[in-house]
Amino acid sequence: MTPSSCSPRQQPGFTRALLNWMENLAPYGVITLNKDFEIQTWNGWMEKHAGLLADEVTGKNLFTLYPSLIERRLSGLFSRALAGEVSFFSTALHGYLLPLPPASSDASFEFMQQTARIGPLIDGGAPVGIIILIEDVTQRERQAATLRQQHERDKILSWALGHLLKTDNPRRVTRDLFLKVAEYLEFDAYLLYLLESSDNKLRLHECGGVSPELRQEIECIPPQNSGWLGSWGQRGPVVGTDVLKSTDQLMESPRRLGFEAFISHPLMAGDDCFGAVCFATRLARPVLASEVELITTLSQYLAVALSRSKAHIELKEARDKLNEHAQELEKTVAERTRTLRESIAELETFSYTVAHDLRAPIRALSGYTEVLVEDYGAGFSPEARKIVGKLSKSAKRLDDLTRDLLAFSKVSREEIKLEEVSTDDVVAEVLRISDHREANISVRYPLGYVLANPTLLEQCLMNLVDNAVKFVKPGSRASVRIWSEIASSASFHSASDSAPFTRSHYALGHSSESATGNQKFVRIFVEDEGIGISPEAQRRIFGIFERGVITNEYDGTGIGLAIVTRAVERMGGSCGVESTPGVGSRFWIELKKP
Amino acid sequence: MEITSEQRDTLTELINIGYARAAGALSDLTGHRISLAVPEVNAYKIDQIAPLLQNVIAGEVASVNQIFGGPISGNAILLLDKAAALLLNRLLTDRPDAGALDDAGREVITEVGNIVLNACLGVFGNLLQVQVSFTVPSLQIDEVQQVIESVTVRDHELRYALMIHTRFHLRTSDVSGYLVIILGVTSLERLLQELQKWEDRELN
Repeated sequence: MTPSSCSPRQQPGFTRALLNWMENLAPYGVITLNKDFEIQTWNGWMEKHAGLLADEVTGKNLFTLYPSLIERRLSGLFSRALAGEVSFFSTALHGYLLPLPPASSDASFEFMQQTARIGPLIDGGAPVGIIILIEDVTQRERQAATLRQQHERDKILSWALGHLLKTDNPRRVTRDLFLKVAEYLEFDAYLLYLLESSDNKLRLHECGGVSPELRQEIECIPPQNSGWLGSWGQRGPVVGTDVLKSTDQLMESPRRLGFEAFISHPLMAGDDCFGAVCFATRLARPVLASEVELITTLSQYLAVALSRSKAHIELKEARDKLNEHAQELEKTVAERTRTLRESIAELETFSYTVAHDLRAPIRALSGYTEVLVEDYGAGFSPEARKIVGKLSKSAKRLDDLTRDLLAFSKVSREEIKLEEVSTDDVVAEVLRISDHREANISVRYPLGYVLANPTLLEQCLMNLVDNAVKFVKPGSRASVRIWSEIASSASFHSASDSAPFTRSHYALGHSSESATGNQKFVRIFVEDEGIGISPEAQRRIFGIFERGVITNEYDGTGIGLAIVTRAVERMGGSCGVESTPGVGSRFWIELKKP
Repeated sequence: MEITSEQRDTLTELINIGYARAAGALSDLTGHRISLAVPEVNAYKIDQIAPLLQNVIAGEVASVNQIFGGPISGNAILLLDKAAALLLNRLLTDRPDAGALDDAGREVITEVGNIVLNACLGVFGNLLQVQVSFTVPSLQIDEVQQVIESVTVRDHELRYALMIHTRFHLRTSDVSGYLVIILGVTSLERLLQELQKWEDRELN
């Protein structure tokens, strides 16, 4: 075999180079054994990680060096290799092949975690020895373990969040949650304190892993003693380790409970503190940052859930109170309305009675004054005649007043039935009865039909026409116009074009704004060119005994419009006026269209 | 080339022996009682295998494969669907997983596959009195089609496949997988010859 016809592998130099690499540079352990399991080669990696030099181990039996291989029943792997089998050895099922120390000072594993391959060395078609390859997977396994822990943690937090969000009473969920968390953290005790709003003390709500006697001691904690729970002073997580050895005053309670290590956290939502939680163990052990983080997140979730629950309860209470108040109010209103109605009824009865009872004496007064004038007037001196004249006028005035008051009372008290009434007919009748010869009254027929009481309607129109005729400018002739229009909705605007009136008007009773879409109304106008009414007076004149004029120039009791108002109200309508002093007035009544 | 039903029966018997050994080794290894059910053995042409497997295994498979050589040579593959691989891993290591096979999990499957393949191929070697050598097992997670292709692309001589439906039973759970032994014509012929010889020896 010439060098040139050898494959590179077969050249001795190459082979040596390959072996050298395996000895010194391979990033894994390479061990070879002979058929008696005696170590033939032991590479650099093995020297470094096993702490044994090749010289020390060469020729030694592997099982003598590492007797645990036999105890763990792994010797079969090597014997099977001699029969030609290749074996794969996983860390997940075994942990390690050889008990080598972990590479870094890491307490996670006792020995270096390894994956290995064990197979035969074949020469001339037959096994001449065994080759073992060892790979260090500690780092990988540690990371996988961390990932697994994180996964577990996330699962717990997800579970917590899900359950806390679903329930309207978080306190029902806490027990299961805390058991889960305690188990995961390998803590043997947990405490949940909730803040009582009545006395601001922390009351123990959930408790696990604490004897009943000790539980009684910590059942109720005043806020100033809750420093170890993180809910006093600076609010945040409190971590205690080696608590039993500590002399810190803060740690007194946990010490008394026998806790060696604990994590506490207040339950804070914004500025509100709802209580605190504490997870603890009686075994001395360090507390990891990741564990504190878990408790912190959990506390936040719980606090938010409690805050939500509180808000719900408060909302419900507020609603209940509101309902109560509303009901009370309704009762009061009903009561008052009843009382008011009774009073009004009484007043009306009274006024009717008075007016009624006054009539007879007033009639007597009028009568006798007349007799006095007729029978004895001729013999009176001019002064006496004047006095008697005044008496007569006053008596008449009294009569008018009582008559109008009576009419007003009647309008208020009597039962009225509404029917379809022809406005044309009523207006014609009014004009016929009143006989205002001096006035120029024009009516624009037809006026239409309205839903009304004929008598009341007659009274209203009579009063309006009387007023229009009465309140003329001195020395001029009354000019009155009567017409009607149909209104169907809010913001009724007069279609009349001759309207030099002010905008101010005052509508009483059923305003057309509140008319329903379907109900139409008929507005009957009575317009004059009289003295007009000032805006301030416009408001008042519909009241009883109010007059738009201050002087005695014009006759009148001041009840006329009050009667119109009351009558119109009772017929389900409204009335109003538009007026400009010195120009004229336009009164209107609005009644339902049948 | 077809195998007769008698040949199939003998083959089944042989595989059974191998499986018994594998079950023993697995039980020893994991400390759990594991049994492998009586396998169903069938022979197919290589191009029939992928479609057949795709019918019974959905999606990706975890496959552990070892090349064996000697008078009978070929490729032996243990196939598990993803769910089966995860379940097997979970049952053997008692560790919760995040729904996927991590490095450690893959190694577990490799070792299990290695044990089963070694047991079967080893049994071929022992009982048929032929010397069989193996390579280190390798794990591949891929679609069935891809796995078969990657195994056969190297050697065009590989024509036939023995498909053995395998069921692992451990801790009240069942995990199903498939052992596929791919051989060339010569190897299959040789195998059948040796099989006959073995049967003759047994009967005598």
